[in-house]
Amino acid sequence: MIGTVIAISDLNVKVLLNKPDCVIVGDILTIDYMNQQHKFEVMEVNGNIAKTIPFDSVIYLKKGLPVNLNNSKLSMEYSENALGRVFDSYGRVIDNKEFTSIKQRGVYDRNVALSEINIQSDILWTGIKVIDFFSPIQKGSKLGLLGGAGVGKTVIIKELINNIFKKFQSNSVFIGVGERSREGKELYDEMVETNLLDKISIVFGQMGDNATSRSKAVYSGLTVAEYLRDEKKQDVLLFIDNIYRFVQAKSEISAELGRSPIENGYPTTMVSDVSEVEERINSTSEGSITSFQAIYIPADDYTDEAVQTITGHLDGQIVLDRSVAEKGIYPAINVFKTTSVLVDPEYIGQRHFELIEQALKYLTRYEELEEIIVVLGLDELSEEDKKIFYRSRKLRNYFSQPMFVAEQYTGMKGQLVNIEDTLDDVENILYGKYDDVDESNFMFIGSMKNAK
Amino acid sequence: MNGNVDDLIDKKIDNIIKENNIYHTGKVTKINNFIIEATGLEEVFFFEKVYVKDEENVGYIDKITEDKVVIALVKMNGNIRVGDPITASGEVLQVSFSKNSIGMVIDPFGNDKMSGKKFNDSKLINIETPNIPIMDRSAVNRPLETGIAAIDLMYPIGKGQRQLIIGDKKTGKTQICLDTIVNQKGKNVICIYVAIGKTKKDLKRLYTKLTEKQTNSYTHIVATFNDDPVPLLKLTPYVAISIAQEYMNEGYDVLVCIDDLRKHADACREIALISEKNTGRDAYPADIFYIHSRMLEKGCQHRCGGSITILPIVETKAGDITDYISTNIISITDGQIVLSEKLFKKGQKPAIDFGLSVSRLGGAVQTDEVKKIGSTVRRELLSFLETSDVYQLVNIESLSEELQGKIFKGQKLLNLLNQPKYSPFSEEKLIDTFGYVVGLGHSSAVNALLKDIELTQRIEDDGTNNNPPSTPPSSSSIPQTTPPPVNESQDASNTKALSSEVVEQTSNPIIQESTINQPQVPSQIVETPVNQPTNVPVVEQKVSSTPPTNNIDGNGDSNEENKEDHTIEELMNDDEIEFNFL
Repeated sequence: MIGTVIAISDLNVKVLLNKPDCVIVGDILTIDYMNQQHKFEVMEVNGNIAKTIPFDSVIYLKKGLPVNLNNSKLSMEYSENALGRVFDSYGRVIDNKEFTSIKQRGVYDRNVALSEINIQSDILWTGIKVIDFFSPIQKGSKLGLLGGAGVGKTVIIKELINNIFKKFQSNSVFIGVGERSREGKELYDEMVETNLLDKISIVFGQMGDNATSRSKAVYSGLTVAEYLRDEKKQDVLLFIDNIYRFVQAKSEISAELGRSPIENGYPTTMVSDVSEVEERINSTSEGSITSFQAIYIPADDYTDEAVQTITGHLDGQIVLDRSVAEKGIYPAINVFKTTSVLVDPEYIGQRHFELIEQALKYLTRYEELEEIIVVLGLDELSEEDKKIFYRSRKLRNYFSQPMFVAEQYTGMKGQLVNIEDTLDDVENILYGKYDDVDESNFMFIGSMKNAK
Repeated sequence: MNGNVDDLIDKKIDNIIKENNIYHTGKVTKINNFIIEATGLEEVFFFEKVYVKDEENVGYIDKITEDKVVIALVKMNGNIRVGDPITASGEVLQVSFSKNSIGMVIDPFGNDKMSGKKFNDSKLINIETPNIPIMDRSAVNRPLETGIAAIDLMYPIGKGQRQLIIGDKKTGKTQICLDTIVNQKGKNVICIYVAIGKTKKDLKRLYTKLTEKQTNSYTHIVATFNDDPVPLLKLTPYVAISIAQEYMNEGYDVLVCIDDLRKHADACREIALISEKNTGRDAYPADIFYIHSRMLEKGCQHRCGGSITILPIVETKAGDITDYISTNIISITDGQIVLSEKLFKKGQKPAIDFGLSVSRLGGAVQTDEVKKIGSTVRRELLSFLETSDVYQLVNIESLSEELQGKIFKGQKLLNLLNQPKYSPFSEEKLIDTFGYVVGLGHSSAVNALLKDIELTQRIEDDGTNNNPPSTPPSSSSIPQTTPPPVNESQDASNTKALSSEVVEQTSNPIIQESTINQPQVPSQIVETPVNQPTNVPVVEQKVSSTPPTNNIDGNGDSNEENKEDHTIEELMNDDEIEFNFL
C-alpha cells in the first residue's frame, strides 16, 4: 500500500501518498474494492498528494480506501499477436477470444529522431477521383479528413480501408477514438467477412467510454503500428477515426483536474499533446506509416483551435462540407480547402498540375456566377460565362463517386477510377468535349470511359 | 501510560459510535440552489444516496473533496438550513421501476406522476450502467417503421438505430415521435417517451393524445417538468434508458423518444456552473459530449435479440443546426431528420429538409424493394431541389426536355411526400405509390393515385422511365381518381366535407388491392387491417376537431392540387409558383 484515497470526482481521484517520492507521473495505481480492481493513472504529483485519472467508473469509491502501485505503466502488446485482435485503450483484449501475450511495451516509450525520418516515397493512388485529383498522397505521409458532424468522414475512411488496405493487403492498424461503437462493430464484422482480420489490429476507445479511455487509445494503437514499422520493417496503414476526440477527451480531463482552459475549454497542453502524438506518426528508412486521420470540426467551425492545431501536422487534407452534402453530392468535398503538399509539378507532373489550376479557376468562377444568377438569371450571362457555368456543373457532378462501402445507402455499385482516366475526363470536360452531354450523366459515375 | 491513552480513545470512539454515528452523518455548510456542501460524511461513496434533514430532501454525492462533500438534490422541499443533519443511506442512488406503470406518466423514481402513488411490485434499477461492450452488439438491419413516407423511404430508421430529430420550435419534432409511437401498435415494440423539462400542460396534452390513440398498452411516459430539481432533469433520460435496457435484456425491441436534449444540456450546464466546474465552449460543461454520448451509445441491436432504438430531439434556434450541442449530437447519432420552419410554414408536413437530413444506415435497414425505390426517390428529389434552386429564374420551357421531366417528377414526389399526421403509410402503400412515380413500380393500384394523365405521359416521354407500368387501364380509373390522400387533409380547413370523403375513397381501395397483390410479406398482411380501421376515423376526427391548427396549411399552393383537370400549361404555372418559393 502506498497511500489512501482522499478525494473523488468523476474523472479525478486524489491519493494521499505515504511518501512523496513513491510515484511518478504515468504510474498506474490500483484499488481492490468490492471484488473489482479499479485502476488509475497518475497525472500530477504535488508534495504527497497525487492526482490520478480513473480507467473506469468511480461509483462506490470512497475516502480512505488503500491504494497500491502497479508494477508496469500502461503497456500494449508488442508482437505479432496483436494482429487480428481487438483491444481497448488499456491494451486489454476485448474480442472474447483467448490471448497469449508474447511481449508488451510501454505505450509512451517511442519517438522518432530527426535522423530517422524518411521523406522520399511514391504517390499512393486511392481510386477516389476527387482525392487523387485534388489531394494526391504519398506513401508514408499523413492525410486528414476534416468535416463537421455527419458529412461523411467515416464513409471515406471506410472507403480508403476498402480501396487501399484491400488492394495492398499490408498490415494495418485501426484506432477508433470517441466514435460510434456500432461502426466499430461493423468494421470488425466486415474484416471477418473479407478474411482480412488477421492483417489488421484494432484499438477502440469509443464514445461510450470515459475520457481516460478515449485519450489513451491513440497511444496504444500507435505502439502496434510502431511494432510493425520498426520490428517487422513494413509499410503500415494507420487509420484514426477520430483524432479530434483525443483532444476532446484531454479537455475533459484537464477541466476535472482544475487546470485553466484556453479558448473553448481546450486544455492548456493541447499543442504539446497533439505534437507528442503526431510526431510519433512518421516514416523511417526501415518502414513507413501512412496515416489517414478523420478530424471532426466542432460546430462546423473550421477555425477551431484544436482543428487548426491538428491540421498543422498534416501533409494533405480533404475538407468535407455540409453545403456540398446538402446538394446530394458525395463525397461532399470542398475542393477549395482541399490541399496536398504534392500539388507541385515536381511530384505530379505538369499536366495534372495545370488541370488542377484550370479546374479551380472554373469552379471559383462558378461560385461567383451562382450568386449572379440568383439575381439576374442565367440568360444574362456572357457566352464565355455560360460555358464556364455548364462545364463547372458537369465537373462538380463528375467528382461525385459511388462508394463501395456506401452501396447499402445508395444502391449503386462502388467504382475505382484510375488517375489517368480522371485526368482525361477532367481535361475533356474543361475543354468542351462533353458540351453536348447533359450534366445529369456525370452524377455518380466512375470514369467516362466506363459510363458509356 | 500509552496503553491508558489508547484505552481512553477507544472507549470514547465506541461511545460516539453508539450514541451518535458521526461517520454516517454530516452537517450542511452551504446551500446554493440544488447543490449542497456538507462536512462529516467521511464514509460516503461516490453517487451514494443521502437524505438532507428528512426523507423529503434526497440527493446524491456528486463530489468528495479533502474537507467536504458536494451533494446534488434530486428531491427537495426547500426548507434546508445551514447546520441541518445529513444522513447517508449506504446505498447507491437507484430508482424503482414497475412494468405495471405502462400507459401511465411516471417520474424518474418510478412513481405515478398523476396520483403520486408508488407501485408495489417495483424493482430497483441502476441509473448509470456500464457501456455495452462492442462485441455484444450486432448489425442494425431490421426496419422500425415510422409510417412517415419521407422517413421510411429516404431516411429509414432501423431497430437499434439512433436517429436525431432536430428543428426549431413548432416544426413538428414531437409529432414525428408521436406518429412513430402510434405506428408501433401491434408490432411488439415497447415505447418509452421521455419528457425533460416540459410544461405540465404540454405533457397532459401529449398524454391525452397517446391515450386517445390507444398506445397505452405498450408505452411508458417518463417525465420531469421544468420546475423539478435540475439534477433530476439531468438523470431523467438515463433512467429511461435503464428501463429500456431492462426490456432489451429480456429480448424486447424498445423505442425511446427523448424530448429534448437541448433542455437536458442546459440542465447540465446549470449544474456545472453552480458547482463551479471549469466550462468549455458556450459555457457548457467540458464533458457535455460524453454526457450525451454515453447515454445514446446504449442504443443498439444487442446480440441477445433485443434492441434499443433512440429518437432524441434537439431544438434549434433560427434553423441553425451547426451550433455546439446540435453538432455534438449529430456526431453521436446514426443520422438526423432536420425539420425546417420555412417548409413548415409553406405547408410541407412533415417539414423535412431533404438536403440536410441523413440516415447513416440507409438501405441496410430497408427491405430490398423499399431500398431500391427509396434511394431513387432521394436522388431524384435532391437533384430536383438543387436544379430548381439554380434554374429558378429561367423560363421553364427553355430548359432541355430532360430537365423539364426532372422538375415535373420532382414536384410530383414533393407533393406525394406531404402527409398529414396519424395517417401512416404501410410498406405496400409506399412501394405502390412511390414505385410508380420513379418508374420502379409494378402494381396497377397506383393508378388511383395519379391525378392527371398529362403528367403520366410526361414522365414516360422523357425516357428516364425504362419500366413503364400498366398505364393503359389508367383511363378507366381516371373518373374516380382524386388527388392523393396525402394532400387532402392539408386543405382540410377549406374543404372539410369533401376531404374526409375522399380519403375514405382513395385509401381503402389501395389497401385492399395491395393485400391481394403482395402476399410475400406475411407480417404486413396481418398489420394492414389493424392499421387501417384506425386510419380513416383518425383523419375524419382531425378534420372535425382541429381545423384551427390547419389554417396555415391551406395556402394557395396546395389548394391547386384539388382541381382535377389540369392542362399542362396550368401545371407549369403551378410549378413555377412553387419554384420561386424554393
